[in-house]
Amino acid sequence: MVNYLIRRLIQMILVVIISSMAIYFLLYLSPGGPLSGLGGQAGDRRARVTAQDIERISQYLGLHRGPVWGYIAWLTGEDWMDIIPQSMWPKSHLTGQPVSLQLTACIENDDNCGHGVLRGDFGVSWQVARGSPVGAVLLSRLRNTLILMTGATVLSLLIAIPIGIYSAVHQYSRLDYVFTTFSFMGTAMPVFWFGLMVIMVFGGNQSPVYKLLHMPYMPTGNVTLVRAPLPGSLELLLGVQPGTWADILIHAILPTLVLSMLYMAGWSRFMRTSMLEVLRQDYVRAARAKGLRERVVIYKHALRNALIPLITIVVFQIPGIFGGATITETVFNWPGMGFLYVAAIGRTDYPVAMAFLFVTAVLVVIASLLGDMLYTVVDPRIRFN
Amino acid sequence: MAVAELKSENLTTFKQEKPIVVIARRFLKHKLAVAGLVVIVFFVLAAIFAPWIAPYGVYKQNLAPVYSNPSGQHILGTDELGRDIFSRLLYAARLSLFITVVVNLASEVTGTLVGAFSGYFGGRVDAAIQRVVEFMLTLPQLPLLLFFSAILRGMTVPGLPPEWSQALIISFVLIVFGWMGSTRLVRGMVLSLREQDFAQAARALGCSKLSIILRHMIPNALAPVIVNLTLGLGYVIVLEAALSFLGFGIQPPVPTWGNMLQNVQQRMWEQPWLAFYPGLCIFLTSLAFNYMGDGLRDALDPRLKM
Repeated sequence: MVNYLIRRLIQMILVVIISSMAIYFLLYLSPGGPLSGLGGQAGDRRARVTAQDIERISQYLGLHRGPVWGYIAWLTGEDWMDIIPQSMWPKSHLTGQPVSLQLTACIENDDNCGHGVLRGDFGVSWQVARGSPVGAVLLSRLRNTLILMTGATVLSLLIAIPIGIYSAVHQYSRLDYVFTTFSFMGTAMPVFWFGLMVIMVFGGNQSPVYKLLHMPYMPTGNVTLVRAPLPGSLELLLGVQPGTWADILIHAILPTLVLSMLYMAGWSRFMRTSMLEVLRQDYVRAARAKGLRERVVIYKHALRNALIPLITIVVFQIPGIFGGATITETVFNWPGMGFLYVAAIGRTDYPVAMAFLFVTAVLVVIASLLGDMLYTVVDPRIRFN
Repeated sequence: MAVAELKSENLTTFKQEKPIVVIARRFLKHKLAVAGLVVIVFFVLAAIFAPWIAPYGVYKQNLAPVYSNPSGQHILGTDELGRDIFSRLLYAARLSLFITVVVNLASEVTGTLVGAFSGYFGGRVDAAIQRVVEFMLTLPQLPLLLFFSAILRGMTVPGLPPEWSQALIISFVLIVFGWMGSTRLVRGMVLSLREQDFAQAARALGCSKLSIILRHMIPNALAPVIVNLTLGLGYVIVLEAALSFLGFGIQPPVPTWGNMLQNVQQRMWEQPWLAFYPGLCIFLTSLAFNYMGDGLRDALDPRLKM
């Protein structure tokens, strides 16, 4: 087993390195980028951006290095790059002279050199939080995403598994049909639409919940209140102060519900079918024939074997818990990771996007390993050697 | 004490029926599955005969009423350019159904085969295939699609109208990046199935590896794949719309349910029910496919006695 884990670890590192390389090239080669739009203006006499400016910007950002040197610098840092002979330096488009592989800021002051991802330095943000270290930018969003995603994941698991088991045990019962239809509404409804509907119904003092039913209304977005709660809001009713944990939790209710609906729908379906499959097996009949109570048969004998598909699906929620939910976060103006990533891609802030994707890639391979380990727990017959 | 006598005429032998007849009979017993089939057939017919059913042309604009409410003239109202929503829904069914069915079927079939081989052979084969799957899962969707849209933009499949050749190209890209989910699902199942007694029995009987995989592993691992397939059907319709939003995919004014849903976003606050029509079509399709999938799974289940 230890041998297997060591081999697996080496493979994981390889996968992460190859995929980070692929992602770096992908971002570098895909259309757009920080220089796009500037080039068109350079030919124009009246434009303020000259070709020299563009070259200066590209050297400032390190784009002149090209994807290969760029990736090496991203991975290992640029502080050692002054040992590379001049003959290997990239040539300037304008002058034809070799340009240093180190960025301008790094040449001026050694403290400004990037240390590379291997040494825990994700570089500096270009756009979203210009000039601040990417690691700090990501960390500032992490708390919000963790609250939302762990809440939604735990809630959906707690609801989806019992629903799935119930639907399987009572297949074709009325409640089974209700759950089935409900879960398909969950998957067929686009999240942006469902999110907005939830806001319209429950959020703000114009919502029908408040105006017609005179019930306290929910916040429509954000993580905390910026001023004292208004009359009629849930916060005032509960006496919650802005910025406290209770305030954050109240704001998390609606987005968590929307996300849970989405996850629950799919997961309960997987639970139901694999449970159905297992319930018809001989050993379940044997367990019943022994006179075991139905509860024991279902939870001790059947459930364990029905968990494999669910494990496959749910472990890949781990990168999701870090990565956040793009659409839900946007609809509820929830400043989390997904929101940040979309902004970073949209505004071509590649250091931020790269860091996000790198951490996600690491979590994907970890999730995959965890899934394999969990298989051996629920089914000890499975062995990896 | 009388011993019960066993007479041969007491034992009725089952009439041997062809498997396909048994499956069809079991399927027809599942009422909601039949209802699902009817809905799907209805949508497919509506899509095929759209030019004859639709009261207006797809691109026909009425100058006066934009975003009009349902009326006698336009049973579902008009959209942002005054085009008849009902007619556009009918035409949209063509591309939406085509793309989602092709993409889902192809990626589930590929995923199932790859996953079954990976899980059954284990060892190095499994490690290699799973590392590729992990690699594919780490690639970011949005930049990837942007990249592909830049490469494939303007590419056409000869002999097809532009929107159909776009549909084929999108389907291809979505299949290439869509097979990993079912691969993981099937592999997980097969890892457990290959250690079970019936697999050992099959090996002892001298079945070839290929036939064990195809006849014993895959049929037993199919349940989660069918769920994955039915969940994916609704998802791909919406995903296609996200693609066309990026400038890749079916471009307006050609309607698909996905891009009709997308267009509604601007009017969400004023007329939220506009999302209802394309949303309902997607919902009904995935619900119908799901019940059909359920019925199919039951009909194919060898353990279920009818």
